[in-house]
Amino acid sequence: MRSWSNRAWLGVLPVVVVVAFSAVIPLMTVVNYSVQDIFDLSNRLFVGLDWYRETLRDPRFLAALGRQLLFSGLVLAIEIPLGIVIARSLPRRGAVAGIWLVIIAVPLLIPWNVVGTIWQMFARPDIGLLGAGLTALGIDFNFTADPLDAWIVLVLMDAWHWTSLVALLAYAGLAAIPQAYYQAVELDAAGRWQVFRHVELPGLKPVLLIAGLLRLMDSLMIYTEPFVLTGGGPGNSTTFLSQHLTTMAVGQFDLGPAAAFSVLYFLVILLLCWLFYTSVMREDEADGGADGR
Amino acid sequence: MAEVRLRSVRHRYPGAAIDTLRELSLDIAAGEAHALLGGSGAGKTTLVNLLSGLLVPSAGSVTFDGRDVTGLAPRDRHVAQVFQFPVLYQSMTVAEILAFPLRNRGWRRAAARARAVEIAERLRLTPLLGSRARALTLFQKQLVAIGRALVRPDIALVLLDEPLTAVEPATKWRLRLAIRSIQRELGATMVYVTHDQTEALTFADRISVMHDGVILQTDTPEALYERPDHEHVAHFIGSPGMNLLEATVAEGSFWLGADPLGSAGDLEGGPCTLGFRPEWAVLAPADGDAADATVTAIRVLGVELHRPVGIVTADLGGREVRTRQIIDVAPGDRVKLRPDTSRLVAFRNGRRLGWPEDDRA
Repeated sequence: MRSWSNRAWLGVLPVVVVVAFSAVIPLMTVVNYSVQDIFDLSNRLFVGLDWYRETLRDPRFLAALGRQLLFSGLVLAIEIPLGIVIARSLPRRGAVAGIWLVIIAVPLLIPWNVVGTIWQMFARPDIGLLGAGLTALGIDFNFTADPLDAWIVLVLMDAWHWTSLVALLAYAGLAAIPQAYYQAVELDAAGRWQVFRHVELPGLKPVLLIAGLLRLMDSLMIYTEPFVLTGGGPGNSTTFLSQHLTTMAVGQFDLGPAAAFSVLYFLVILLLCWLFYTSVMREDEADGGADGR
Repeated sequence: MAEVRLRSVRHRYPGAAIDTLRELSLDIAAGEAHALLGGSGAGKTTLVNLLSGLLVPSAGSVTFDGRDVTGLAPRDRHVAQVFQFPVLYQSMTVAEILAFPLRNRGWRRAAARARAVEIAERLRLTPLLGSRARALTLFQKQLVAIGRALVRPDIALVLLDEPLTAVEPATKWRLRLAIRSIQRELGATMVYVTHDQTEALTFADRISVMHDGVILQTDTPEALYERPDHEHVAHFIGSPGMNLLEATVAEGSFWLGADPLGSAGDLEGGPCTLGFRPEWAVLAPADGDAADATVTAIRVLGVELHRPVGIVTADLGGREVRTRQIIDVAPGDRVKLRPDTSRLVAFRNGRRLGWPEDDRA
């Protein structure tokens, strides 16, 4: 005896409603805007994929995308290795370990605009410790005027803000490696590099994947800190995708192009994360199985 | 392969109130398969770590072939270890894993490779040489771990710390057999840690029974079974363990209540504990005053000569007695305990009394 009932649908209804309101409806609204030219609420025109074509040909979009990719690449290349180094050098147990973890976690607890403000002051050539210090040393440093200086401060700021996350995740990953592995490599007379290469790195892989994905996504969406620090300047040299988008949508009220831009932006993030994930996981799949430690 | 000697070894972990190992001495002959048997907390793993060099004893000495290695780092001791679960480097192939300890010690690539192939052949791992560790079954992984432990020709001692824990029961015996045959073939000195007496009894030439930080007895499996030095060993070894009954020695005989149970030789009079294996006694049907026990349970284990045999459990004045015998009684029956008096083992204060071993010698 098996009875069929459609009442089960009621059970999943709350989730469907929540997802619809939080994700599907806003997203489809954006898609809807992206294919129309909107003058005001009653005057709109269907334009097909025109906005997409225009955006993809827009040199400002392409420049912002290029800067975005460079920034994310730099940030990942610094934060992941640095995070691992910090995690490895932290004590594994004892009261001191706890104190260190708290200190390391502090940057993560600071609101993003405050981080931007801190670094804005820190780097000011007239009164900032970093800026004034460099100036005093005779180095020509001005992040509000020199694009390279602006980039250096921006990348330093992001590394300061987010390396902690990688370090904490890597610390947890290291703690999860069974002690027997360290004993085994010691008995096998392995060198330090081999311990890292054959024990720690494979053990860290799952958490590094998560850390890498989080940092990739977050860095692609970065907005507040550069907005506070440089406002996208000097010129457009630190204008990333999100800031460009805000200027279009809020500043100029170009809803159609901004919507097309948003959809493309979303697809870029999705694509990059997918590429990152599959490239890290490919090695495992080639062996026909997950790691069975 | 080295002769291993521990002298008055004591170990206390930093911050601990008591010693984990207390005054422990042990000799293991070169090429011997030795088992450390004991429950959890007995100090087995601590002892293994002292042998591998991961721990340095608080006192006492460890020597390999007469060379004092007490303070030597693990990597300088020529010791290999197989762990409870297979510890393999996941990113390497089987061939690379087997060659790894050799390469780290300056072997040339070709020589290390040749030796790895040789060991793989002995363990029948040759078809897997090119596979990555994570693609292997648990059984194969542990076999590779054993291979890595044996790959160095200059290895002094191979430690196996409960190596079958993670292996499924069906393949346990295969792996144990494989370890044992390699041990024989290579003449490797092996120390096998286990809490499972079947593993210890079937693997080792000699067994050390550990309890509470000391070795209670080191002996061959037969001797541990027949002449345990200690009540704990008597009870721990065997399934079920030895029966232990309160008795007395008087007038040159053992007495269980008012019943004489054979000669006690020239043992000093007084209370003692009598031990006998379940197969060294029968519970025979009896009536009236002749009976001293009541059968409480029966477990049939098989049939011999068309008669059921198994374990009979009886209540003897509040103490439980188990025998392995032909089952000719039923629960509730009144029975009489008839032990083989020539095989009784007597204990006083937990330790075996001089008799009957002295008589037999």
